Amino acid sequence: MYQLGALSFLYYWIVAITGVYLFIFFETSITGAYASMERITVEQWYVGGIMRSFHRYASAAMGVTVTLHLLREYAMDRYSGVRWFSWVSGVPLLWLLFASAIGGYWLVWDQLAQYIAILTAEWFDWLPFMVDPMASGFLNQSSVSDRFFSLLVFLHIGIPLALLLGMFIHIKRISGARSNPARGLAAGTLLAMLVVSLWRPALSQAPANLDVSVTEVGLDWIYLNPYPLINDWGPGPVWGLLVGVSVLLTLVPWLPSRRRIEQAPIAVVDPDNCNGCGWCVADCPYEAVSMKQHDFKKGHQQSVVDPDLCISCGICAGACPSSSPFRHVDELTTGISIPGFHIKELLSLTEHKLRSLTGSSRVMLYGCDHGSVVEQLESSSVAAISMPCTALVPTAFVDYVLRKGLAEGVMISGCCEGDCHYRVGNTWMDQRFSGERMPILRTRVPREKVRVRWLGVQGTGELKQEITTFQQELAVPADAEPVEVVHG
Amino acid sequence: MVDVRRYLGQALLYALFFVPVVYLSSEPKHQHMASDMAVIKLSIRHAGEVIGECKPPDGRQSGQRPSNIEAPKLCPRERSPLRLKLVLDGQVQYSASVPAAGLHNDGVSSMYQRFTVPSGSHQLQLLMNDDVAIDTYSWQLDQPIDLAPAQVMAITFNNGFEIQ
Repeated sequence: MYQLGALSFLYYWIVAITGVYLFIFFETSITGAYASMERITVEQWYVGGIMRSFHRYASAAMGVTVTLHLLREYAMDRYSGVRWFSWVSGVPLLWLLFASAIGGYWLVWDQLAQYIAILTAEWFDWLPFMVDPMASGFLNQSSVSDRFFSLLVFLHIGIPLALLLGMFIHIKRISGARSNPARGLAAGTLLAMLVVSLWRPALSQAPANLDVSVTEVGLDWIYLNPYPLINDWGPGPVWGLLVGVSVLLTLVPWLPSRRRIEQAPIAVVDPDNCNGCGWCVADCPYEAVSMKQHDFKKGHQQSVVDPDLCISCGICAGACPSSSPFRHVDELTTGISIPGFHIKELLSLTEHKLRSLTGSSRVMLYGCDHGSVVEQLESSSVAAISMPCTALVPTAFVDYVLRKGLAEGVMISGCCEGDCHYRVGNTWMDQRFSGERMPILRTRVPREKVRVRWLGVQGTGELKQEITTFQQELAVPADAEPVEVVHG
Repeated sequence: MVDVRRYLGQALLYALFFVPVVYLSSEPKHQHMASDMAVIKLSIRHAGEVIGECKPPDGRQSGQRPSNIEAPKLCPRERSPLRLKLVLDGQVQYSASVPAAGLHNDGVSSMYQRFTVPSGSHQLQLLMNDDVAIDTYSWQLDQPIDLAPAQVMAITFNNGFEIQ
């Protein structure tokens, strides 16, 4: 489900590539349009027919994935704050997507195209600035010209290109946006589309004849669902409905929400403890952190936070090398932190919770507020702390807990892999643990005592089982020499 | 065995996604219009008469000066709206005033209207006034028509109503 946006991109490219192929054989004339589509579909069914089916079904699938993507982002509260731009820029894309799809149906010039052409023209004629009725161009067979098809082709290429530009803008404010689905998913999608294209190839309906009215029509209910309303309600109410819904969608990020935190704390930089390494800049998922000249150390740099872009995830605090509990300081301070969830508080909470644990397989469980509900998994041998994002936990904490003998194992959990609420938290954690990203988990940490499980909010039960298994493995005595704490 | 079940599960998920997509891309059929109905399309594009008369610019009567120094007349631009009425079997189906296009209403009046009517024989009456200076209808058509099921009859105007 978290690949819906990337899947939409895949469908777009399928539609674009197959569209180029179809365009090679398409004739832009009244009589040629339908006949050329029939030739493509029937005479070269093994390529052209499949291409046409891919074109049709990828377009329909894109309509579904885009709609599900919108609903999912709304349901997961991923539309407000710094995310407003992606949300708002997505609204005109819906219009462009529908316009692209509808334009494609016109080109076939069958009875469905006739139905769409007349109702679309009547719909636009309602607008006050339409002086000459567009619908007069579809009075009868003699009123349609070949130039109309040239215009349609131009629109059917131009609007999808505008859609692509809009999709680029849609993801522009997101660092490292994913526009390619996983290879397995892409391969499965292509295979499934091939199967449905052979099973039920996309076909034209009877050829258009403007001298005879369409009575029954096979409608694409994904894209053409407003058309029966245009006929039954009239154009005005449908304009009102669609424009009203669009305006409402645009305003959603600023509408009151019970789920939204009134004022999330913004990351704070402590110049005394910021060494200008820039790790927080590299890790911020919304590019809210940048570097500037240090406030008082000449020739040095320090981080600075843009409050308009900060989403209070705390990933920056987890990236800060000053967040190490091994530091020889009276009070643990960091270069950057989230008020209300300071690293110092996380450390004292960790130590406090672990002190009360009993048994020989004690586990420190760190989780996030958007993944598995870790508080439910606390027991006499499991301590759990939930935070905005698990990537807030500095890797040095894992080292610290194990070396101090506060627990036998550390477990990290959070949102599903690739579906982090803050986009990149679990990816950065994986990279820090595997040594690909700073700050790395030091090599001296025994990996068998650390578990990382990205199971999401639905995976709380599975996480419980994982912890049980982990504890059983930890209980097996190894060379259980207590490890001396090494300060570093 | 686990792999087979995994692949079958994935195939099921793809089917659950694509079967509704394929089905909804052409089904269920939509009944746009009953099969025993027909369509009349009225499409008029006509410039109404200019409202008012041309006058000399200073209000004097024309013809008082030689023609070579006579100032050009000032002519009004506004055109009459079209008063249109379509009556079928004695029932008024459409009655409207179509204004001339343009900020000064000096353009052509254009209108389009689609009517869905039962097929069969009807008495069609069309009335149009294109001059506000006269009260009656300046253009009329009154004739029987016979519409086959699903037939589209287009009515246009070109110095008189034309049925196509």
